[in-house]
Amino acid sequence: MTVLSRRAFAAFTFCAALCLGIAGARADDAATANDAQNFIHGMADKALVLVNDKNLSDKDRADRFKDLFVQAFDIPEVGKFVLGRHWKTASPTQQKDFIESFEDFTVLTWSTRFKDYSGVSFEIEGSSPADEGYWVVDSLVKRAQGEPLHLGWRIHKVDGAWKITDILVEGVSMALTQRQDFASAIQSSGGTVESLLATMHRKIEELRAGK
Amino acid sequence: MQSMTIVKRALRWTAVSAVLAIAGCADEPPASDPDAVAEFKQTNDPLEPTNRAIFDFNTKAETYFLDPIARGYRYTVPPFGRDRVSDFLSNLDEPVVFLNDVLQGNSSLACKAVERFALNTTFGVFGIMDVATPLGIHSHEADFGQTLGVWGVESGPYLVLPFFGPSSARDGVGMGVDLVADPWSWYLTDHNLNWVSWARFGVDAVSKDEAYMDFLDDLRRTSLDYYAAMRSLSRQRREALIRAGKDDIEVANDRRRPDYAPTTNPMK
Repeated sequence: MTVLSRRAFAAFTFCAALCLGIAGARADDAATANDAQNFIHGMADKALVLVNDKNLSDKDRADRFKDLFVQAFDIPEVGKFVLGRHWKTASPTQQKDFIESFEDFTVLTWSTRFKDYSGVSFEIEGSSPADEGYWVVDSLVKRAQGEPLHLGWRIHKVDGAWKITDILVEGVSMALTQRQDFASAIQSSGGTVESLLATMHRKIEELRAGK
Repeated sequence: MQSMTIVKRALRWTAVSAVLAIAGCADEPPASDPDAVAEFKQTNDPLEPTNRAIFDFNTKAETYFLDPIARGYRYTVPPFGRDRVSDFLSNLDEPVVFLNDVLQGNSSLACKAVERFALNTTFGVFGIMDVATPLGIHSHEADFGQTLGVWGVESGPYLVLPFFGPSSARDGVGMGVDLVADPWSWYLTDHNLNWVSWARFGVDAVSKDEAYMDFLDDLRRTSLDYYAAMRSLSRQRREALIRAGKDDIEVANDRRRPDYAPTTNPMK
């Protein structure tokens, strides 16, 4: 083999390896996309079974919903994101209190919202990679009246299990909305995490009382 | 011209707001707290005290005036009938949507607006039945505030307009332009039928309130600061609309995502 053909061969091998690598990565992406969609589909199915099960008492339904929710959402991550710049200034006790309150608050928020979703149909539209390890699964929720709703589920893997970190309603991020809501609540209630916690506790009581 | 009276009214309100605004400006946080300053800039709501007052007024007007009417409407008219009303009204918006699609250079969306208007006005009997959507030609929004955004005009400070709600300097101007550009109000003014325009705005307000009432109640119930949640939400919605408008696609088909990494992201 001449030097030239050896070089050509090396170049060819290199290119082939690169192409195979890219193809491999694409197959990986496709597998992950599938996996991500299955996660959201499975979760939505479980949730719809809960909503439509007429034999469940309201309390049982709420309890099961809470389990499902806590399992599916990455609450510490969302909580940290929502608290934003104030996370750094919070003491470890405040951080712990915040994450716990945030969990209660979020579960209450979504479980009461959830009652209105009986009789809806849910379909997955696709999924695409987002920034650094995150994926967004797109879905369509059809309701009895009005336009169908586009929901995007932003998810990532925590210890090998998918977890939801945000829901995009018609392109609007719930986590970002909540982050700005909380930032403003901190500011208007005295600018401290302590005052925010007091506001959250009060709000949780209100939601529990069904206000 | 009837649409001019609306614009005049809007301008008068803006003037009143401007006077109030001088009395109600938000204070910028001290430079010693750069995170707070960054947040203040990002919030971009220098007229916050005034905006909050107008927002409270709007919320009260909804709660005590519009919502009861919307509930009555919901109670008396079945879902099928309500869909016919909202289909008819959104068909009337199609010319202005088309105009803005064209101004944004969006040929694909502009064609959709024309197809929808043609199909729905004929086969859909003056727009009462949206026959285009089942054929895969979905409706989309387009307005002059968005057009300005697509052209690169920044939103300017956040504004809450009396009765019209969350807006911005740019989108407030856009709304005025859309009102003037509406061909139906030209026709109705020429034929001394201004009351029809007013009836249209009234029915539109009730129909939209009926559609969004539950969502807004839910947001109020589940937010710590309803005003701030609404500000964030409406601004994100505008940004999503402009992002999609720049690429000649519907918001629903836009696979780009919001920016999660503002200056104050603790995860970075």
